[in-house]
Amino acid sequence: MQPSQTGDVPDLDVTPVMNLLVILIPFLVSMAVFTRLAVLEFSLPSNIGSGTSVGNEKPEPKLTVVVADAFCSITLGETMLDSIPIVNNSIETERLRERLTLHRASVTRADEIIVAVRNNVEFEQVVRVMDTCKNAGFTKIGLSNATENPHTGV
Amino acid sequence: MQPRIRTPACKKEGVPMLSLSRNKNMSNAVMKPQITSLIDVMTILLVFLMKSFSVEGNIITPASDLTLPLSASRTAPQPVTTIEITESAVRSGDEVIATHDSYRKNDSLFIPSLALWLSQHESFRKNEIMLQADKHLPFDILKRVMFTCSKSGRNDFTILVQQEE
Repeated sequence: MQPSQTGDVPDLDVTPVMNLLVILIPFLVSMAVFTRLAVLEFSLPSNIGSGTSVGNEKPEPKLTVVVADAFCSITLGETMLDSIPIVNNSIETERLRERLTLHRASVTRADEIIVAVRNNVEFEQVVRVMDTCKNAGFTKIGLSNATENPHTGV
Repeated sequence: MQPRIRTPACKKEGVPMLSLSRNKNMSNAVMKPQITSLIDVMTILLVFLMKSFSVEGNIITPASDLTLPLSASRTAPQPVTTIEITESAVRSGDEVIATHDSYRKNDSLFIPSLALWLSQHESFRKNEIMLQADKHLPFDILKRVMFTCSKSGRNDFTILVQQEE
């Protein structure tokens, strides 16, 4: 009996497909990106670093987020507007974003904010706060150092 | 008794009949490897790699001994002068600019070796500097580096971060 008469199905020749995959896969492995990087842009506030003040006009206060170990407060000049506790080294970013959006409506410079950080705060916390400020609509973020208030110790 | 197979050549006169054993039959058969399962694996690999394929690639290579913080930012990095701040030193590439122990004892925020390095290395974007810092670094160290950079005329800062997925 001839093989064609037995009803055998001829096997699919996958060798060309394998050739293609052997070429494609090393190429794709070399071009694969497993970690995506980005940047956060910020600036130093104008009255920081130079040690000199330009002109006699009183500088207009900007909304400031003070980041410490145990709390995160929102201030405007010398007035504290809000305070959010930091529990287990974790900031409630959603709550901070809501408060920032609320207070942003009441300031003149609505696109600028200063993030003032205490010395022993971890860099990761700083980045989270800066992200939250961006999400709240602030386009210009200044990074500064926050000193302890000698009167209140806060 | 071994089977005797008559081939067409045997039908001619004077040609002895071939006597083939079953073992010799099997030795003439061509062994084809099973590549169906290999095709399955390759297809899955292909789909995965196509998903992570990037035409741009990464222009910046982060330092291997520091962990970048996560961020929701999507701004792409540009090649500018980069300073890496690890847990032990301030570096640029393989060159150690200053170890943290060498300047932290001073009250001053200024790091002289970093200022010297900045004066010797200028990029085409003169005022820009990119900082790669470990996420567990205290802000005090970053503050000193930023202060020194600003005194050297570099006032535009960018921080390299890892994108959150």
